[in-house]
Amino acid sequence: MRSRMHPNYYLSPEIFARERQKIFRKVWLFAGLKTLVLEHNAFITRTIAGIPVVIQNFHGVLHAFENVCLHRSALIQTEPVGRRPLVCPYHAWRYNEDGQVDGIPECDAIYRFSESEKRSLKLREFSLRTVGNILFVNLDESPLPFEEQFSESFIRLLESSSNVYDTEVMVTTWHGHFNWKLAYENLRDANHPRFVHPKSLAQTVKFVPQVNEAAFAESCEPLRDSSPSALRQEIRRFSYGGADAPIDQMQHFGWHERVERWGGQDVYYNWLAFPNLHIASANGGLSFTLEHHIPVAPGRTDVEIYWFTARKKQPYAFSQQVLLAQMHGSELVVGEDIDVMEQVQKALHEDAPLPTQGAYESMNRLVERWYTELMETDCEL
Amino acid sequence: MNSRWIVGTGDYLQEVLLIWQQAYGQGAPEKIEIPQLRDYTFDLSPLDALSPSDSEVFVAVDERFGNFKRMELMQAVMARGFKLASFVHPSAVVGVDTKIGMNVFVGAHAVIGHTTRIDYNSVVHAGVHIGPRGRIKSSCWIENGVQLGSAVELGAHCTIRMGASIRAGVNVGRGCELGWPRLYEHDVPNKTVFDSRYGEPIHTYGK
Repeated sequence: MRSRMHPNYYLSPEIFARERQKIFRKVWLFAGLKTLVLEHNAFITRTIAGIPVVIQNFHGVLHAFENVCLHRSALIQTEPVGRRPLVCPYHAWRYNEDGQVDGIPECDAIYRFSESEKRSLKLREFSLRTVGNILFVNLDESPLPFEEQFSESFIRLLESSSNVYDTEVMVTTWHGHFNWKLAYENLRDANHPRFVHPKSLAQTVKFVPQVNEAAFAESCEPLRDSSPSALRQEIRRFSYGGADAPIDQMQHFGWHERVERWGGQDVYYNWLAFPNLHIASANGGLSFTLEHHIPVAPGRTDVEIYWFTARKKQPYAFSQQVLLAQMHGSELVVGEDIDVMEQVQKALHEDAPLPTQGAYESMNRLVERWYTELMETDCEL
Repeated sequence: MNSRWIVGTGDYLQEVLLIWQQAYGQGAPEKIEIPQLRDYTFDLSPLDALSPSDSEVFVAVDERFGNFKRMELMQAVMARGFKLASFVHPSAVVGVDTKIGMNVFVGAHAVIGHTTRIDYNSVVHAGVHIGPRGRIKSSCWIENGVQLGSAVELGAHCTIRMGASIRAGVNVGRGCELGWPRLYEHDVPNKTVFDSRYGEPIHTYGK
């Protein structure tokens, strides 16, 4: 059957802007790891749906603010990860845990702000939710309840697994030339590893594409209800996780004894948090990789790749090399995925044929049904 | 000294042997291959046949696993009571008051500036230029032709790849890999990796 996804959804700047308004500025999005902001004044910065955001620790409490100084619009924190007070480097305006300006050098002498002006100087704050060691931010003024976007079982699983994340984190970014939606479509396609990763991932993990008859039948029907509550109900099932595929004869390495393993089964764990977060453990909970797909433009997506092990029982000298070996291992798999997605993107043009999907692709078809309803009508989340 | 051995694995072991033989002819040590198993541990049984008394060993393992495998084997050799040798090629130019630690390799035509210190288990390949007042901490690996300005400091377990140049006074943190062929003009935080397969550096945060 034909996909609902017109090539324009992957090519059009207008669609990209609409996605930003109707999805990325409405839903809860991955914003970072709590393990990177454990101390007072520790911070992480990122750009979420075009908005610079800083998440900063104030005496153990995390806040998310727009990372733009209210004076001359400079970035307040300029490094991706660091530890310093929330003070703009341009003219040293200082902000407190409420985002309120609480210090301007020579304020009365050279700025001459009235008291009410001073009181009105407050950074825009965003809703922040911590699940285990994972931070989510919602940019909407009235964010949808977190529990409406993610099911209770998914939140529980994410919390339990992420609570074992270690504090040593390795991260890099790939600049992909493909649309962000190709990433989740690829991740939900259990039929691709044997063809795209025959000499890497498919050597150790056997993914078997399954047909869910009920989902298949449903995916062929139009969406009957496009009310906000129905759309929220629908989005909840796009995020799921847990044991995905068995690992035959899992290899053992010395560092395995040095970490507190999560789970305990020799399986490949996968967590997919719609719209743009993927977490996996390819060694049954001994280490984790987190992939964050950041839309940059219709044909450009930054892929942030994080690696960390389960919590170390105690520090050991070569722990960075354990992470680096896994980063390099995943470089092959991520590179293969990005190559194929860039080939798909390259083939797209306005009159390109619509994809023809099989029954095993029903989850992608359900996402597409929801997505096209949201994009093509006035309905909102 | 009755016996001298070069102990290690891989291409670098053979390379060290040939360089040593070419430099010193019959006086070169004997090569002892230490197999690395599927789980990357060493099979140390070949060491059982060697007597540590009145003997010297040079450990030759390349930069694998951030130079930790070379260090691991070096520690195993030391634990058995062997003394460790260093090798400085006769064509290398070593400045005044330099300090070179044990199990250090300095290749042909390398230039080591005055008062520079190279700590144990580091490898300085042929043609490397290290400026004066430098500090190379333990278990580093510096590839052919790399240029380090004066007073450059490399933290332990750094790997500096061919084509890299480091400006004078720059501090490179421990566990870094500078693999992009370019001039490094600023200090590099601990555990930062510039690998040519990646378009952005790999950063490590926390511990």
